[in-house]
Amino acid sequence: MQKVLVIDDEKPTLSMFQLFLKAYGYSVYTAESGEKGLEIFEQEKPPLVISDIKMPGMDGIQVLGRIKEMSPHTEVIIITGHGDADLTIRAMELNATDFLHKPIEKNALQNALKRAVERLGILESSEEQIALSSINGTAIVDIQGNINASHEKRLQEIYQEINEQGKTSVLFRFNPNSSVNGTGIAVFIQILSMCRDNGQKAVITGLSENFQKFFHLVGITRMAEIYEAEDQALSRLQEQAG
Amino acid sequence: MPRFRDLSLKHKIFLSTAGVVLLFSLSSALMARWILSGYMEQELKTRGVSIAQSIADHSIGHVLTRDRDQLVATIFDAAQLGERRHLVEYVVILDDEQNVLSHTFITPFPDDLRGVNPVQEEQDYSIRSLDKADMQVYDIAVPILEGIYQIGTVRLGLKKEHIEQVARTMNITFGGFTLAVLVVMFVLSYRISLYITRPMQKLTGMADQISRGDLELKTVNGLQPGRDEPCPAITGSYQPCWHVDRLLEAELGDRHLPGKPDYCRDCLADRDKSGDEVQQLADSFNQMVRSVKLYRKRVLESEHKYRSLFESGPVPVFVLDLETFEILDANSSAEKEYGYSRNELVGMEFTRLAPEFPEKLRTHLKQEPQDARIVYNKAIHYYRGNQPIYTNVEGRLSTYRNRDAVIVATTDITEMLEKDAQLIQASKMSDLGQLSAGVAHELNQPLNAIKMGSEFVQMMQQEGQDIPEEQLRQILGEINTQVDRATEIINNLREFGRKSDPGLEETDLNLCVQNVLTIIGQQIKLANIDLDFQPASQPVFIMAHKNRLEQVIFNLVTNARDAVMQKQAQQEPGWTGRIVIFIGISNGQAVLSVQDNGTGMPRSVVDKIFDPFFTTKEVGKGMGLGLSICYGIIQDYQGEIDIQSRENEGTTFRVFFSASDSHAQNSNPKDR
Repeated sequence: MQKVLVIDDEKPTLSMFQLFLKAYGYSVYTAESGEKGLEIFEQEKPPLVISDIKMPGMDGIQVLGRIKEMSPHTEVIIITGHGDADLTIRAMELNATDFLHKPIEKNALQNALKRAVERLGILESSEEQIALSSINGTAIVDIQGNINASHEKRLQEIYQEINEQGKTSVLFRFNPNSSVNGTGIAVFIQILSMCRDNGQKAVITGLSENFQKFFHLVGITRMAEIYEAEDQALSRLQEQAG
Repeated sequence: MPRFRDLSLKHKIFLSTAGVVLLFSLSSALMARWILSGYMEQELKTRGVSIAQSIADHSIGHVLTRDRDQLVATIFDAAQLGERRHLVEYVVILDDEQNVLSHTFITPFPDDLRGVNPVQEEQDYSIRSLDKADMQVYDIAVPILEGIYQIGTVRLGLKKEHIEQVARTMNITFGGFTLAVLVVMFVLSYRISLYITRPMQKLTGMADQISRGDLELKTVNGLQPGRDEPCPAITGSYQPCWHVDRLLEAELGDRHLPGKPDYCRDCLADRDKSGDEVQQLADSFNQMVRSVKLYRKRVLESEHKYRSLFESGPVPVFVLDLETFEILDANSSAEKEYGYSRNELVGMEFTRLAPEFPEKLRTHLKQEPQDARIVYNKAIHYYRGNQPIYTNVEGRLSTYRNRDAVIVATTDITEMLEKDAQLIQASKMSDLGQLSAGVAHELNQPLNAIKMGSEFVQMMQQEGQDIPEEQLRQILGEINTQVDRATEIINNLREFGRKSDPGLEETDLNLCVQNVLTIIGQQIKLANIDLDFQPASQPVFIMAHKNRLEQVIFNLVTNARDAVMQKQAQQEPGWTGRIVIFIGISNGQAVLSVQDNGTGMPRSVVDKIFDPFFTTKEVGKGMGLGLSICYGIIQDYQGEIDIQSRENEGTTFRVFFSASDSHAQNSNPKDR
């Protein structure tokens, strides 16, 4: 049974989490404050942590920082209120892997958990997270898992390869479980702007709803269009190329 | 006959002068006559004696020789010599036997003259008055002496008639002179009396004229301002002379008086010391008339000025009888605003328009009997048709036509109060805007629990799984609690945002603070600020509007929060911000204090903190109306607010209200 730690200053919220997560088959630990949460984290070392961001005393950002310090590969999903865009971005910069908006919807929670567990799976299988292929002259970049600073070099190499192949269009195909943190976003923005400078069309597909919102928030949608379906994205690229 | 004191001064002067002159003249005439007549008689007698002696000397020989012819010749010569014939009636020479030797009678010697006046031995002469039917004489007898022997006697008759003639002539002359003096004196005294009394009559006339209110008089003789008189105080009669009238001294007090201009050297007012007393009186009188004219003019101007102020003043002004509160006068603004004509207002009882006035005045006079000014605000007055309005009232004790009166000015502040209410509402809405983020967070918490609980039940139900009864009860209970929690937040918000009713209600300070804290308490905790609420152990009631009071508390608490957060940003992570809210009651006063250990404020900011639109927050973070509106609200409840602030150490706001009576007694005074 996978261990999950939930940190929230709201007791009612904690008890509801407990119901859900138990029903999903997790072993649930709860903490009412950041300090308490870190204590439990040190004892139990759960691979998955869900933490509220606004808390009296040690808040979610601090908790996230400490956890990432102790165990960088821990999946940390943060809970934010509506309109807390600044806090969301800050959390992502600190390598949070996903986020949930309050009030938390069942599906959003389920998906986030699913993605997190898949990412944990990738980590365990040490599968290649970024791969390059090609369909009809369009470069396809497959991405899964957690994308962070450690992937910068790999992404740069892949882009170089695309350039060498003389591709004029690029499809970034995200696995729905993938998570991009702040540094990952910065790398993406860098590559997308190089694409624009070199006259290459870039589109993105396969992102989870949460990350679509996040990409929109940080302004990536201005550099590359995001499509739900792969066909749509491909036809759009060929349309422009033609 | 009129008494002397009732006579005019002219007659008094004239009569007394004339009387004294007359008395003096008469007495001197009588004296002169008495002295002169005696002297003249004596003189004539002496003369008669010397004539007789001279006859006696010349006739010694003839007597011895009894030469009667020679004797006759001698006595006739002596008697007829020059003026003597008017004086001498007769001369007789007697021998030593008293026989007549010779005489000057042309008739036989009258027998009744014989031996009537003998001269005694040792006597030089003897004088005897003889009054006979045919003659009145002084008979003078002188002895004729030869050695030591008397050989005969010379008798000489002095005509009394002549003596009287001389005295009469003299009396007439003297009397005439006295009369002449008398006449001159009469004329003179009459002129003097006229000289004195004529200007006085004129002055009297002028005074009468002034009494009748006519000041357009000619000046009494003299002291006419010249054609080129430069002094504006004298020629203009519109400007007072502070050197003469001493008006400016009273105004300026000890301050330096302005220097005298050059023309003051020739000041008419200073020149009036010349001339006699009457002239001086006239001059002074002219000065007085000038002054009266000037002051009358000034009084008229002042009356006119105040009348027009009263009439054209923009606010209603009433003059009331202090005893009965009957309206004695009212201006046109009063007519216009209160909707009654002046005829209706005059005589009306002011209490019909302002029912609160007598009580307010009574209280004021009891509390501050020395203060003639009474001011109170937000009274309800009634316009025509019993339309109620809010007014500020300012009264001043005065007199009006010999009655104790009070002058009352009222200002309609209904519209202003409405504007105030709108402004308070606007600022509240601005507060609400600031609140929304925090409120969203607050509301999200219960909503989250409800959402998750309900979706859990839904999920289990969809998947056909059973929820253990214990769990279900827990979920439903939690959902219920959370709905209540959300409802409370919303109710508080709605209560806070509601516009106040006009009436005051008993409001518990403890409860107000609790309500405010349900809205922002969590936010403060989330900002890592220690919030210490120390309520009074019993409810602290004051008369107020609940939601306005909450607005005040909300403002004070959010200011404290902002100050602490500002400081938090500059401090090391270990530093703890702290806000202490304390409610207590002492001496019947409710005290609310909000203390923080935030940035504090310098003196210059504290002074301005209640100014509208003053803010220390960055642009866009507040309208700067918060504290100024708080101040207004607190004043509305007769409360006071004070601030203690030290830069970098923190700020304490303390608000004092008088505790509502019905509960103040029940409260325990030890109760902080």
